[in-house]
Amino acid sequence: MKPVQLFCWHFMAYPYLDKDFDEKEYTGWVTVPNRLWDNGKTRGLYQEYIDQLAYADELGFDGMVLNEHHQNIYGLMPSPNLIAAALTQCTARGKIVILGNLLPLHLNPMRVAEEYAMLDQMSDGRLIAGFAPGGGPETFNYDVPSANTREKFWEAADLIVRSWTEDGPFAHEGRYFPLRYVNLWPKPRQKPFPPVWIPGSRSPSTMIEVAKRGYCYFLSSRSHGGETHRAQQEFADVLEKHGDKYHPFRFGILMSTYVAETDQQARAECEEGVWYFLKNCLKGHLRREGRQLTYGPGVPYIPAAAWREYLKGYQPGRKLLGDVENWQELDASQSIIVGSPETVTRRIKTLIEKAKVGNLLIQFQLGNMPDPLARKSMKLFAEKVAPALRDASLTQFRKEYPDLNLESPKEAIQ
Amino acid sequence: MSGRILEINKRNVQILENGSGPPLLYLHGFADVHSVKESWLPFHERLAEHARVIAPAHPGCARTDEDKDIDTIEDIVFHYLEVLDSAKLSHFDLVGTCVGGWIAAELAARHPEKIRKLVLIGATGLFVQGALIGDVFMNAQPEYGSSYASLRQMLFSSANHPIALELFPDGKGELEDEVRRYQMLRLSSRIGFKPPYFYNHSLKNRLHRITPPTLVIWGEHDRMVPRVHGETYAERIPDAKLIIIPAAGHSAHAEKPDETAKLIGEFLKQ
Repeated sequence: MKPVQLFCWHFMAYPYLDKDFDEKEYTGWVTVPNRLWDNGKTRGLYQEYIDQLAYADELGFDGMVLNEHHQNIYGLMPSPNLIAAALTQCTARGKIVILGNLLPLHLNPMRVAEEYAMLDQMSDGRLIAGFAPGGGPETFNYDVPSANTREKFWEAADLIVRSWTEDGPFAHEGRYFPLRYVNLWPKPRQKPFPPVWIPGSRSPSTMIEVAKRGYCYFLSSRSHGGETHRAQQEFADVLEKHGDKYHPFRFGILMSTYVAETDQQARAECEEGVWYFLKNCLKGHLRREGRQLTYGPGVPYIPAAAWREYLKGYQPGRKLLGDVENWQELDASQSIIVGSPETVTRRIKTLIEKAKVGNLLIQFQLGNMPDPLARKSMKLFAEKVAPALRDASLTQFRKEYPDLNLESPKEAIQ
Repeated sequence: MSGRILEINKRNVQILENGSGPPLLYLHGFADVHSVKESWLPFHERLAEHARVIAPAHPGCARTDEDKDIDTIEDIVFHYLEVLDSAKLSHFDLVGTCVGGWIAAELAARHPEKIRKLVLIGATGLFVQGALIGDVFMNAQPEYGSSYASLRQMLFSSANHPIALELFPDGKGELEDEVRRYQMLRLSSRIGFKPPYFYNHSLKNRLHRITPPTLVIWGEHDRMVPRVHGETYAERIPDAKLIIIPAAGHSAHAEKPDETAKLIGEFLKQ
């Protein structure tokens, strides 16, 4: 048995927007004008962010998390694999989680299979391979038609795993990515293949596909808060139906936190970065202001019957995470947990207890948060929060999953 | 109004019929029967005074089954060849709006002998350098939480036109109407989301094959398919003329039903 796995997630936001960005600009995604890019200020920015991730490795986090976004200020990683390559050279211990490469945006999935295999070799088997279909904004970034995105995604994901596990050359006779000679050089380091994580936002069809393949499901929504344990229960039910059993390391969640010496100090120190993140980085994504690209009839990737079900519960104009108006509302959303080590420990402990989640993917650097503050928060978390969470979760998991043997490959995270 | 379901290659195709007289195949666009309302719009009622209007719902729209294998306009054209055979339509008038107009033009270029007269209303389908067809998908994403004003602005002469507000309301409309709008966007995304954006590069050079008399109708303020597309259709189709409907947008048939139906009625009679 192992304790909860604590990962440090960096989104690599663009931090140099003027204060009037929200007033002047319509969106932070896809069409956000790139004249706003400041080439003077951004010198060294990637290094600063990479160094923060390397620092997480030094501090004993279980891994570092990267993901792919295009044409936006929320995340400057159109190619997370490049950052991952840098991390293979400046870290030695933690997992490198890429969550994930957006498969429908890649010309051919074999390129992802190859780059992931390279990263797994370069990191000596530390890669966790995430595959994601991309959401609304990504659909517009690369003109990915929605109707068959999911089918295309799963064909690509299955081809990649097959190329890692089956000797080549073989022919892939797929609907979307037919290929005559699949013959991967290099093969990945880990056997039978690197753990695969798939993000989802509680759609049953994604959970089912993940369950069928024995992968790890990662809840990618940002404001799951009190709903986290429901998602866990849904996934556990789906696993059960597929003759499989839930355990904490089959499930992961995204959360954000800021830790300082006291509750008051924590809020004072992070507030600027938090509002920058909520109002600027989420504009066009999880805000009503401007145009929300993430979900809607213009990106019709779910079948009409599923859309009908979604509409039944849909409340037009409801507040999204970026629409919170004050600190109390933000706090109630449980999306960003801010406070002293005691406060943060207590809140995350409760979350783990309820949601039985074994992988916490935690964002520390928010919006334009300065480097020293991000590092201080990470250090406090590593020294004063993580040990308590590890102890408590180990006791909890041992009690709740007495039969779980993570040594056997079948039960290990796949 | 009467409706029926045809079974074609094990898939259901919903067909509505209205009026009597010579058969007229009607292929719908966005602000149209099957894609916003279950019933006919006033335009179709007027049109049915001149012909027997036969309006199938596109694959995946209304009660026509979805076809996952549709990737290109070619796939839809072949779907309609099957519909024509099954409905025993061998010689007919053909009217199409927007995406329906594109399908109509493709059918006419391949099988001019089947078509007595052709009417294209705000038809997509052509590539015209410098006059890109508007992005209906991005405009279908809500603004300010629940506004579809920019979508209405693209599809009509004004975002506040009463017909626009009725057919594409803000917030949440009647559930089944919402589903119909979604289905039409989903079908359209198969053929118009990625390049070629609602066009077939080859179509322009095939338009000279369209021999039946053709009427091209364009709204004066079409913001989805620029008017130069209408001009190109009219120039390249040998026996065609272009008529601009004043004060109408992309959905001229919905905004000016009497005027548009009358023009078509006269054209069919000539």
